[in-house]
Amino acid sequence: MSMRSASVLLPLGALVVVTACAGGQAPQQTAPPSTVAAAAAVAATSATGSIAGKIGYTGSVPAAEKVKLSADPKCLAMHKDGLEKQSILVKDGGLAHVLVYVKSGIAGGSYPAPAEPALLDQNGCNYTPHVLAVQVGQPIKIRNSDDTLHNIHPRPTQNAEFNIGQPRQGMESTKTFDKPELKIPVGCDVHPWMRAYVHVLSNPFFALTQDDGSFEIKGLPAGEYEVEALHEKLAPLTGKVTVKDGEAARLDLSLQG
Amino acid sequence: MFGGPPEPMADPVAPEVSASTWRRRFGVLTAAATLVLIFIGGLVTSTGSGLAVPDWPLSYGMLMPPMVGGIFYEHGHRMAAAGVGLLSLVLAFWTWRCESRAWVRRLAWLALGAVIVQGALGGLTVLFLLPTAISVAHACLAQTFLCLLILLAYATSREWQAGSRGIEDRAGVRPAAVLATAVVYAQLLIGALMRHLGAGLAIPDFPLAFGRLVPLTWSAGVAVHFAHRVGAVLVLIAIIRLAVRAGRSREPRLARFATALAAIALLQLGLGAATVLAQKAVLPTTAHVATGAAVLGGAWLLTLRAHRLLRTSPQPFPERQPLARTVAAA
Repeated sequence: MSMRSASVLLPLGALVVVTACAGGQAPQQTAPPSTVAAAAAVAATSATGSIAGKIGYTGSVPAAEKVKLSADPKCLAMHKDGLEKQSILVKDGGLAHVLVYVKSGIAGGSYPAPAEPALLDQNGCNYTPHVLAVQVGQPIKIRNSDDTLHNIHPRPTQNAEFNIGQPRQGMESTKTFDKPELKIPVGCDVHPWMRAYVHVLSNPFFALTQDDGSFEIKGLPAGEYEVEALHEKLAPLTGKVTVKDGEAARLDLSLQG
Repeated sequence: MFGGPPEPMADPVAPEVSASTWRRRFGVLTAAATLVLIFIGGLVTSTGSGLAVPDWPLSYGMLMPPMVGGIFYEHGHRMAAAGVGLLSLVLAFWTWRCESRAWVRRLAWLALGAVIVQGALGGLTVLFLLPTAISVAHACLAQTFLCLLILLAYATSREWQAGSRGIEDRAGVRPAAVLATAVVYAQLLIGALMRHLGAGLAIPDFPLAFGRLVPLTWSAGVAVHFAHRVGAVLVLIAIIRLAVRAGRSREPRLARFATALAAIALLQLGLGAATVLAQKAVLPTTAHVATGAAVLGGAWLLTLRAHRLLRTSPQPFPERQPLARTVAAA
């Protein structure tokens, strides 16, 4: 092959490889993460007890922070009316994005991780969901739904840190965390306002609060448990609860602003 | 490997002066571009964009990614670095072709090697997610590379070629310049360590430290930050001492240069204070990084000039004697 032919064919070959890579990473439909976590909890145990309740919020809600989107015109175009950052989301007195998990009282044993991945989507130059809770070893599918590029850069302290790029819309990557660790910040260094948190737990006895602060942890055996409510910004709060077989124990906590 | 230049010049001084003018200018341009590159590199860290491009040597698999968000700073730094690398390559080949002195040719190759290693360190720090050791090495090699280029440019200057060594260094400018350069370099190392440990605000107030002269509680971050503040005082003392000695040296070129250096060092002190008081705002923080490089480059150049323009005095520091004689005569 002459040098001239090579100079033409090499870029073409590279294009084919790049296109092939892009084709192999087409978006797939994935169940919402809350559904995945709930399914995992049910599958992991045949116990019938549960804890349900509401995490409230006491205090004033700080003013939302306006995000400067001008660094990326595509993000700006997605939010013509602007974008605000607010981590304290209160509805009907309840607080969203709170991890409620059984901190102690669980009998020893292994809880296999669900095979179905949880989804962390980059959509509108934001993460959806803002808070994700998974089990150790559970795959996390990271997707770029935006027509702009993102890097995904979690900064764990117990697990391995990684930094990957997703330059094209529809790209997906799958990652796992292999050690329990709470509140792993995930960010995009291209768009510094983007922030999500991933909680990695060793068992399926956890839930994330809904918009109104309600939660339910299913599949618990009878016993006495210490339960913690953990929010990204607020001091955590614990409560004790007794669970009986086939019954839903009630636990309401209120985090202080 | 490369051998010597094709035709070594017969006259080592006079023809070289005119023939090397453009090469000297190119060397100065490369050094100036490196100072700008250090500023841009400082912007990368100041804006938290060091990992905005997760891959290397390509950027998101591309030569030219969209210059949005943090990519603007990180990829901009890569482009500027490529430019300086190219300038260094040209300078190395130019020097190899036209320079008669073997040590200058070797110096040019060394500078080229340094910029290649510097690029590799930049890549490694991205791939390994900004480990402190590699990031600090990257920051320090940048300063060393700048010093190499300054030496290269000065070695081709008219002042160097003239080789005036007539004046004795009776004021002790040469050792003072060496000491000042060493103190500034050590200070830059501590500064780089502080920056990459994220300890720039470990002591949040200025000029006191937690309201005291010396902090009560210590951590690694507080210790490094406090060492940088102590280092700033030592740098200022070393440079003022150098300026005083240069003023007594009877070599006005050195006196003027040392005065300018002291002014830049004072500016640098102000920028350091502004960095803390403005909570590491991007502009003062980055200006502090670049001005630090300028102080090092200035101290280094003054060291070179003092060694070129002055010769060792058998009896240094007699500058106070005239005053003593005057008093005795009175």
